[in-house]
Amino acid sequence: MRQVAYYKGCLASLSAKELDTSTQALAPKVGLELIELEAVTCCGAGDIHEAEPDYYLHLNARILAYAEETGADTLMTICNVCTLNLRQANHALQNDAALLARVNENLVTVGAPPYSGGVEVMHFLWLISVGEGYELLQTAAHKGLKGLKVAPFYGCQILRPSKLLGFEDPDKPESLERIIRACGGEAIDYPAKVKCCGFPIIQAREDVALAELIQPIEQAKEAGADAMVTPCPLCHLSLDAWQSKLRKQTGKDFQMPILHLSQLVGVAAGLDSSELKFKRHVVSVEPVTEKLSV
Amino acid sequence: MKMALKIWRYDPIAGERALREYEVDAPDWATLLDLLDIVKDKHDGSLAYRKSCRMMICGSCGMRMDGAAVLACKTRMVDIAESGHVPVISAMGNMPIVKDLVVDMEPFWGKIRSVEPWLQPGYSDPGEKEYVVSQEEMDVIHKESLCIMCGCCVSECNSMEADPEFLGPAALAKGMRFVGDARDRATVERLQSYSSEHGIWDCTRCYFCQERCPKGVDPRDAIAKLGAEAMRVGVDSDMGAKHAKWFVTSAKTTGWLRETELVPKTQGVAKSLKEVKFAMGLLKHGKVPPPVPPHVAKHVDESRALYDLVKAQERSGAQGIVQSEKALAHLALDTDEDRDPYGEGSFPAPLPIEKDAQ
Repeated sequence: MRQVAYYKGCLASLSAKELDTSTQALAPKVGLELIELEAVTCCGAGDIHEAEPDYYLHLNARILAYAEETGADTLMTICNVCTLNLRQANHALQNDAALLARVNENLVTVGAPPYSGGVEVMHFLWLISVGEGYELLQTAAHKGLKGLKVAPFYGCQILRPSKLLGFEDPDKPESLERIIRACGGEAIDYPAKVKCCGFPIIQAREDVALAELIQPIEQAKEAGADAMVTPCPLCHLSLDAWQSKLRKQTGKDFQMPILHLSQLVGVAAGLDSSELKFKRHVVSVEPVTEKLSV
Repeated sequence: MKMALKIWRYDPIAGERALREYEVDAPDWATLLDLLDIVKDKHDGSLAYRKSCRMMICGSCGMRMDGAAVLACKTRMVDIAESGHVPVISAMGNMPIVKDLVVDMEPFWGKIRSVEPWLQPGYSDPGEKEYVVSQEEMDVIHKESLCIMCGCCVSECNSMEADPEFLGPAALAKGMRFVGDARDRATVERLQSYSSEHGIWDCTRCYFCQERCPKGVDPRDAIAKLGAEAMRVGVDSDMGAKHAKWFVTSAKTTGWLRETELVPKTQGVAKSLKEVKFAMGLLKHGKVPPPVPPHVAKHVDESRALYDLVKAQERSGAQGIVQSEKALAHLALDTDEDRDPYGEGSFPAPLPIEKDAQ
């Protein structure tokens, strides 16, 4: 088992608990032992980076420091936005000794551990789409998706800016497709899979956000997808919960089930419904579970 | 060597689009712009595209290759040709096509003009000596000053596609270039203007601009700097600003985002009451976690103390982002680790140090 520090972030702690339970249940099957971080806070979701950037840097340094304290060399995230925010802060701290020294002095002053720069931030998707995680996934996903047509939706902040993320080609990613195929599903291709779901501005600029949100759902539907899968709980929330608003605004009722990455693999790996928690979705996942007879 | 490319042609008179393939003989150092020149000179003189300096400084030759905005003069073609792939060249997005690869940049320039891209000094003649701007002060706008206004960022902007009136990454980065200028005195007025309906808070953080910018301007970071400056001077009444502020409040009170209160804190109580029906739909599925008792992080007193501590250290506003730019800059360098910098075909190797001379 590979030990990783586990940062679940805000949404998986509350409104997207199904992401946390399915990730925790799936982890041992793909060779990961999760050490959950308790004394950590929100990464700021890009909002604190914009409102109080110095505070953002310190909050993320504190998360990295607590991750390092576990002894693991990897901090695993399950959210695109957490991934970018943490990697950005980590790069800044790892490459500027004076900056790191100042931040550490502040961390120690408030009673937090200092950070030495020894942690790498990796999204769960990256850990299971290549290498040992991928090998184990192929075995674990034995129940299979039986040809289910799945549209991968990457979202933004796991791909761009690629100089900070850099796991795969931001214009032609294929990690989700590899996983869908490994689970026995059929990966549906459509142009908007790398575009934005609109979530960051869905409250402040709802019309603009909805105009962004409709693209991937509409394209996935037209391409014949049975469901969409995303590695980001924020994308999940907008794709799933705001579909009703799209219906109200455009009259189009997509009824597109949206799965978290850990749920998609979890279904294929035979996780229990108490771990998958599909009832917590706004758009019913029943068409998927019926098709797979689970 | 033989190099092939497909070009989306557009004839504005007939209103017809067509994908045409061309194969040309080109030297292996050829850029995309060189290929277009060869096509125009030897194959089809009617091909339209913009160019001028050929050295990544005039910003004329922005276009798309395989769907991604690039500067044609910066894009070497040898690897693509050797791979056998035939790239598809098309005009940039989010602007009207005039002919073939030429777009009408007027909407772009209109937005640039609207941010008033000139210095508003507001101080008197310095007299005998000049005012000195320190290097530290210039660092704040170093990246924004690199913009060549090619439009590659605007071409891919997801928010502008959804809201064509969005000021967009190029104009906002230009705005930051003046907000952050130590000589400019119109900071508050500028931030009020840029915080309007189609301004700073319209950005959805898709980071396409940052990905595409061929000059390292990092327009999304420039927009974040504007947001931070707006907060610093108290221009924070927009819903986007209130949304961002609630994350700060959450982090220093409970540590985690107080999700359920985010809607009324962003939109105000009156507007959010209209969302009750929508919220009830989410409530059924556990998507509206009860705010009481709050979900409090362990040792949250540390994040509270951290807030007060860093606040007192006065790295407020854009400085909080600028302080990381030096460290992040090394990521922008395209280093080819496989290449021996002193190998064959490179610059001369440094001479060995003579130990005795030390």
